This record gives sequence, C-alpha cells and structure tokens, in this order.
Amino acid sequence: MHQERYRAPVTRSAAQTPGGVSVELRGVSKRYGGGATAFIGVDNISLAIAPGDFCVLVGPSGCGKTTTLKMVNRLIEPTSGQIFIDGQDISTLDAVELRRRIGYVIQQVGLFPHQTIAENVATVPRLLGWDSERIRRRVEELLSLVGLDPGVVRRRYPTQLSGGERQRVGVARALAAEPPLMLMDEPFGAVDPIVRGRLQDEFLRLHAQLGMTVMFVTHDIDEAIKLGTTVAVFSEGGCLAQHAPPSRLLASPASDYVARFVGSDRVIKRLALISLADVALELGAGPQGAPTLARTSNLRDALSTLLSTRADAVTVVGEDGVAIGAISMERIRMALDDVARSWPENEASSEGPAGRTH
Amino acid sequence: MTPGEPLVRWDWIFSHLGDVGQRLGEHLLLTGIAIGIGFVLSLCLAQLVRSWSWLYGPITWITGVLYTIPSLALFAFLIPITGLSRLTAEIGLVSYTLLIMTRNIVAGLQAVPADVRESAIGMGYTDRQLLWRIEMPLALPVILAGVRVATTTTIGLTTVTALIGQGGLGYFILEGILRFFSTPLLVGAFLSIALAVAVDSALVLYQRLVTPWAR
Ligand SMILES: Nc1ncnc2c1ncn2[C@@H]1O[C@H](COP(=O)(O)OP(=O)(O)OP(=O)(O)O)[C@@H](O)[C@H]1O
Ligand SMILES: [Mg+2]
Repeated sequence: MHQERYRAPVTRSAAQTPGGVSVELRGVSKRYGGGATAFIGVDNISLAIAPGDFCVLVGPSGCGKTTTLKMVNRLIEPTSGQIFIDGQDISTLDAVELRRRIGYVIQQVGLFPHQTIAENVATVPRLLGWDSERIRRRVEELLSLVGLDPGVVRRRYPTQLSGGERQRVGVARALAAEPPLMLMDEPFGAVDPIVRGRLQDEFLRLHAQLGMTVMFVTHDIDEAIKLGTTVAVFSEGGCLAQHAPPSRLLASPASDYVARFVGSDRVIKRLALISLADVALELGAGPQGAPTLARTSNLRDALSTLLSTRADAVTVVGEDGVAIGAISMERIRMALDDVARSWPENEASSEGPAGRTH
Repeated sequence: MTPGEPLVRWDWIFSHLGDVGQRLGEHLLLTGIAIGIGFVLSLCLAQLVRSWSWLYGPITWITGVLYTIPSLALFAFLIPITGLSRLTAEIGLVSYTLLIMTRNIVAGLQAVPADVRESAIGMGYTDRQLLWRIEMPLALPVILAGVRVATTTTIGLTTVTALIGQGGLGYFILEGILRFFSTPLLVGAFLSIALAVAVDSALVLYQRLVTPWAR
C-alpha cells in the first residue's frame, strides 16, 4: 500500500520519455600516460542510464567526472571497457557523426566569438546540412525555448550578452538538432546562485518537455539532488561510489564516503524531496489557528513551519484552499521511514526507480 | 644635380605621368605576387606547425635566417642561378615575408580559446571545418596584422628590385641617383611611402570589415 503511495507519484519511468536513448558504460577505465608515471583518471566504471533519465555525475575535483563525460562523445578514448549508446558500441561509430547527435555544453560555454547568437545556435543544423529556412525557424524556436527574445539577441555577438544569457545560448545550441542525449559539464557553474537556480528550473522544464537522456556533471551535491533522476557519486581515483536515485542516496548511502559526501544534513535534504502530496496525512484540519501549507510544498517546508511557529501540526490545503489533512512532527518521521522501507532490500544500487519529486 | 635647378621639376612629372603609372603598377604587382605567394607558403608552414608543434623551432629558425640575409646579398647570390629575372626578385621578396606571416598565423591559431575549440570538436566539426570555420576566422586579426607588416616591408624592399632590372618605383630612385636628378628620386621615394601608407590603410579597413565581432 505504502509502496504504491510513495513510488507512483515520485517515479518518472523511462517509458514516459521517448525522446532519449540509453547509455551504458561497461568496465570503462582511462589511464593517462604509461609506465611508472601512469595516472588513473577513471577506474573501471560501470553505469547504466535508462532512456530519458537525468543522470548527474557528482564528486570532488579531479575524480574523473569530465573524463567520463568526454569518453561518451569520444573526445577522450577509454583505455579499456566499452560504452554503448542505444545499444551500439560507440567505438564502432564515426566519431564526428556521433558527436553531431549528442548535445554538448561545457562550463566555459565555448560560444564562437566571431559568430552571431543565431549562427552559434545554428551550428549543428548547419553541419547536418539543413536548409536555411528550417534553420531560421529552429533558431527562433530555440531562443524562445531557453527564455531569450530572438528579436533582441539574434544578431548580437557572444561578448554582447551577460554570463547567464551566454549559458542559455550554450544550452540552446546543444539542443538545436534535438539530440537524444545531452552531455553537460558544469553548465551552470559560472553564474551567480540566483541565476543558477533559475537556469536549473528552466532546464528541468525543458527536460520534462523534451525527454532526452542527460548526463550532467557538477561538484555540487545540492544541484545533483535537485536535478537528477539518478545521481552517480564519484570518489577520488576515478571510482564510482554509488549510483542511485537522489532519495535513496540520501536515505541509504552505500558507504561512509557517500554519507560524508551527501552531508550530515542529508535528512533535511531528503525532506525537501518528499512532497506533502505524497505523504500519508492526519485526517482533518490541524488544530485551531494552525499554520497552513499548500500540498505542493515539501516536508522540509512543513518542518520549517513547525519549528518556526512552534505549532503542533500544520494544516495542508489543496489548490482550492480547502484543508485536506494535517501534518505533525510524528508524521514527518513516519514518512521518512516509509520512503526508506519502500525500497526492496536487495536491489542493486545502479538500477532501480528514477525518483524525483516536483 | 645641376646648381640652380629646383628640387622638384613639375614639368618632368607631368611629361612622365604614363611612366609613373606604369612603375606604380609594376611595384604593386611585384609586391602583390610576393605577398600572395608568401601568404600561401606561410599558411602551409603554419599548418605543419599545427600538426607537428615541434616543427615551430626549425621553421622559425630557417625563415629567420632568410629574413636576416641582406637583400642585395641575396640577389647577388641568386643571379648566377636565376638571372636578372622577375623570379629572382620574387624569391627575394617572398623569403622576407615568411618569418612575419608564419609567426603571426601560428600565434593567431594558438590564441583560439581552448573552450571554443573543445565545443567545436564536441559538436562534430571535422578537423578541416575547425580550421577554416573557427580557427582561421578567429585568428584573422592577428594574421592580418602580420600581413600588414609584411606588406609595408615588401613595398619598401621592392624599390631594391630595380637594381636587377625589374622596374617598380625603385627605377625612379635609381634614375635620380644615376643622373644626379632630384625629381625622379623624390617621386620614387614619395610614391613608395604613399603606397605603403595607402595599402596599409586599406588592409586596416578590410580587417574592420571582416571582423565585425572584434569591435
Ligand atoms: N590529459 C590529461 N593528462 C593527464 N592527466 C589528466 C588529463 N586529463 C585529466 N587528467 C587527470 O585525471 C583526473 C580526472 O580529471 P577530470 O577532469 O575528469 O576531473 P573532474 O572530476 O572533472 O574534476 P573537476 O571537478 O575539477 O572538473 C584528474 O586528476 C586530472 O588531473
Ligand atoms: Mg571537470
């Protein structure tokens, strides 16, 4: 019963998102240099990403996230192991053609300074030989999609945009030919937290809309938890420590390392992932004068309200403002236990449901 | 120079206008060919450096040696082989352009930001597309700076080719010196300076026109 209640709403299964392809890394390693000075950048990583999944690679600096990402579009060739996209071993494909089917965004954005914004966005369609009318329409559409006014920015050069606007153009350019796979290396790293938050929200909306598979690199665990349907935690030496949906990562870290990495406040982070709509509420409104929260809020909001108002319970209201139940400290604790219990004990950590509440 | 004669005899200039035009044309042609061939050769050398970066040292050494040989010495050395020909003149002129232009093309290509190169390759540019659509356009300001220096230098050097009978504005300078006659000497000197300034300005204009993004 509980399992249904918790998992159905928070699970976005791959089948709903036909726009993406599967990605699988099988025992992939990358060694830099040879002999005595050899350096392991990525150490025997296996990782399966379902079509439409948003997989965030997270870990401390130098743990091999960028290397892993670049092996997927063959900017770097693995020393050993195989990578499959949509079931095809990419080492058997033409690298240039492969890259044209994969969206690629890097932290420094890498817009072409000598081309206008419209020309930048049109990069891959031009490489693919689309006709100019189709390209023009696509560019307009994409600029609007990422929240820019085509009429204003189209003819500008990259230096004439702000950092946040450039990031958006970078995303638009990567999306141009509707790639079934996007590789993003700290794409929102160089902007201030407010703009970053907005770009994250917009990109989540785009992902929900377009359904492509995403591999996203960050070293910020909060960004990983916010964005990922699955999170791959890397550790020093290019090892994969755990690959799991964010809620599971927080509830049951596979090792001390992962627990430390997700932070001592991981319970609080978990609360933020659970929507009030998915929780078994107490029946009836809270006590007279209790604070209220919308059912779209999450458990962290509820906890915060309880602590700040010193109330015993919070009344939860639906969109129409009518009370649908109440939540107390006890219920919050129960909800956390329920979510943890809803996972089968022996499920392998690299598989399992793609979970995210929004 | 005959005492009492004016520094510039305008009547001589007006009666030799056709001559002046012809020498100006020769001068432009000699310079143009040298810059054209020099540019193509420099491009090839820069390509070699782009593929095998260890070649940069040897290539700058050789073009540097060519650059330091005095022009007259080079002509003297070439005449027994290629005679008093335009080929001799051009070999000399071209060899002086290589150092500057190769160095600037290489520097321009190397100055292309790594993130621009990486995103281009990551989006599926072939190596050739990367060079011609991304690296060369971005290197253009530095390359054209090299072309400007090479061009003004070559316009100056081309005056020397009159010595091996290849005409150009140097012809007037030579004539003025040989005949102790100041007018052609000044005409030759003035026009070669004016030509250098004019061509340089044209190149600046061209650069502004083709690099709107750099403004
Ligand atoms: N071309 C290279 N030659 C040698 N070592 C390299 C090379 N590229 C990366 N490395 C090393 O491999 C390791 C992994 O690098 P990578 O760029 O994948 O790290 P990262 O996880 O992306 O780090 P960051 O968060 O700092 O970007 C690093 O220790 C790095 O020094
Ligand atoms: Mg990195």
